[in-house]
Amino acid sequence: MNAIVSSEMLVPAQSVAPALSVRDLRVEFPTAMGAPTVAIKNLSFDIEPGTILGLVGESGAGKTTLARSILNLPPMPGRITNGEVWFEGTDLRRLPEEEQRERRGRDLSIVVPNPRGELNPLITVGDQIATRAQVHLRIDKKAAQARALEMLQKVQIPDPKRRMNAYAHELSGGMAQRVVIAMSLVCSPRFVISDDATSGLDVTVQAQILKLMRDLAFEQQSAMLFITRDVGITAHFCDRVAVMYSGEIMEIASREDLFLDPQHPYTVMLMAAFSHNAKLRSQWRAPDESRENATPSVGCSYASRCPKAQSICHVEHPELLERRPGHVVRCHFPVERT
Amino acid sequence: MSIFAYIGRRLLLILPQIVGIVLVSFMLVKTIPGDPAVLMLGPTANPESLAALRKEMGLNESIPMQFWIYLKNLSKGDLGTSWQTTRPVLEDLLTRFPATLELVSFGLLTAILIGLPLGLVSAFRPRSWLARVADFYSLATGSLPDFWLALVLIYVFYTLLGVAPAPLGRLDMAILPPTQITGFYTLDSLFAGDWEAFKASVSHLVLPVLALGLINAGPIFKMTQSTVERMLQSDFSRYEMLCGMPHGLVLRHALRNSLPSILTIISVLYGFLIGGAVLIEIVFSWGGAGQYAVQGVLNSDLYPVLGFVLFSAIFSLFVYLIVDLIYFAIDPRLSH
Repeated sequence: MNAIVSSEMLVPAQSVAPALSVRDLRVEFPTAMGAPTVAIKNLSFDIEPGTILGLVGESGAGKTTLARSILNLPPMPGRITNGEVWFEGTDLRRLPEEEQRERRGRDLSIVVPNPRGELNPLITVGDQIATRAQVHLRIDKKAAQARALEMLQKVQIPDPKRRMNAYAHELSGGMAQRVVIAMSLVCSPRFVISDDATSGLDVTVQAQILKLMRDLAFEQQSAMLFITRDVGITAHFCDRVAVMYSGEIMEIASREDLFLDPQHPYTVMLMAAFSHNAKLRSQWRAPDESRENATPSVGCSYASRCPKAQSICHVEHPELLERRPGHVVRCHFPVERT
Repeated sequence: MSIFAYIGRRLLLILPQIVGIVLVSFMLVKTIPGDPAVLMLGPTANPESLAALRKEMGLNESIPMQFWIYLKNLSKGDLGTSWQTTRPVLEDLLTRFPATLELVSFGLLTAILIGLPLGLVSAFRPRSWLARVADFYSLATGSLPDFWLALVLIYVFYTLLGVAPAPLGRLDMAILPPTQITGFYTLDSLFAGDWEAFKASVSHLVLPVLALGLINAGPIFKMTQSTVERMLQSDFSRYEMLCGMPHGLVLRHALRNSLPSILTIISVLYGFLIGGAVLIEIVFSWGGAGQYAVQGVLNSDLYPVLGFVLFSAIFSLFVYLIVDLIYFAIDPRLSH
């Protein structure tokens, strides 16, 4: 029973209202001449309160653009040309600019990669965390400082009292990442975006930080969008996983469904790349770079790289189909379980 | 490194730096053709008196010897005598240098007051009409000479409107300069409680200061605009916006991070204008140090030139020292 799903059906019927739902979001980047590049192609998804949605994709898939566009601050010179971002019953993009600003960092916050560059080099990290609390929670400086210290303790920075007075250049990458997490969570946001936040870290530090984020999100009952290039992480970390390619969602499923029964060829290829099975790896090898250039204007955006592509793939754009309850795939020829 | 050790080291370095600067300018001035003795005594002087004067001035000594003598006198606080004014150079400069400094300081202050806010607005709202006007303005300041603007100002405000005083010096003829404390007439007249002198000195300052300020606001504007704009596009500013920080706060932080570059251009302008304002001084008959030095160069009057070089070198070195100390205060990456 393959039915075309409308955006409202993307998530299995549940009684809980989603914490965040993105509807038909479209982001374009103007080009010097001609048609703009579409970075996000009418994308929709939902995240339930207290759950983590993983978003996997290679670099250039539009993950960061999506993360920032949810906060209505797409990377320059991108422009959101369509779509709604519903958060707890309000379409954020329709709020007045000042109210949007107040919600950023307070209700919805983002953890960014390259944390040392994201910290102001001239201000102590304690002050930077405290300022965010002061602005959003309207508390006085002293209370904000106390709260900042409490956050540094929560993210398990060694010697937090001393780190309050440290500057970004005095921190290691792992510590700076913890500071950025403390900064994002200081106002107890109900929705957190983690944009590839652990990509630059050592594997051991990465594991600690992931656990930390999950614990804090759980403690604050926040929903989370967890963006990463590493499929492996999502297997341990997320409730549901979405696979993104070229500004589109190719497959969304619960973690179990996605890993036990991947159906989109791109998903299979991503997983094969991490697999220990040599036969599987060679069978689903990433194709030559040269084939990547042929980007179809119609048809499936993955067609030029897809080992299973047939003629229809190059001419007809596949819709998202609900193959099983809660498991949605955008492919003309989904991979059958073997 | 402690801040005091740093200051001490810098102050120690100032002395050899100054000797180097004086040496280079001594050699340069000596290469100017023309015999000071002939210029002093005029074309009708007889050879004997010329020879006597040369001997008296030490012109027969070798150049290294002359330099050595100059340094020896310098260490006693003797900067030589100007044959044009027939007064000790030190005395001349002590009245003329503050005149230039007063003009340049107020001019630079005006330039900052114009350039900095314009730069901030253009960086924050690059598409606003004010940003476009500012862009055009900075282009214009880059292509207009300051003395031309000064002449226009004089024509409009003195000749046509008659609201500005005649461009002849720092005070009206009838007003006596206040007792010298700082050498700034505006400040000295205030210290002396002399309102007439204060009003006169301010009204004489307005046009030259405006000419300097309007022209030199250009580079300050450009530097502010480009660095603040870069800071606003940097990761930390963008992250502050993603965290919902108010625009004012983001802009304030961006300005703070841009201050080192802006201070650098201001300090360079300050040192440069001591001599660079000479055309303005001439247009307004200011009687400042730049004018004094140029006269010296034109008339082979060695000591005023060297004295001027010395004064402005010391001044610039102190300005740079102060700027470095401000960097220290702003940027923890330097002081830690």
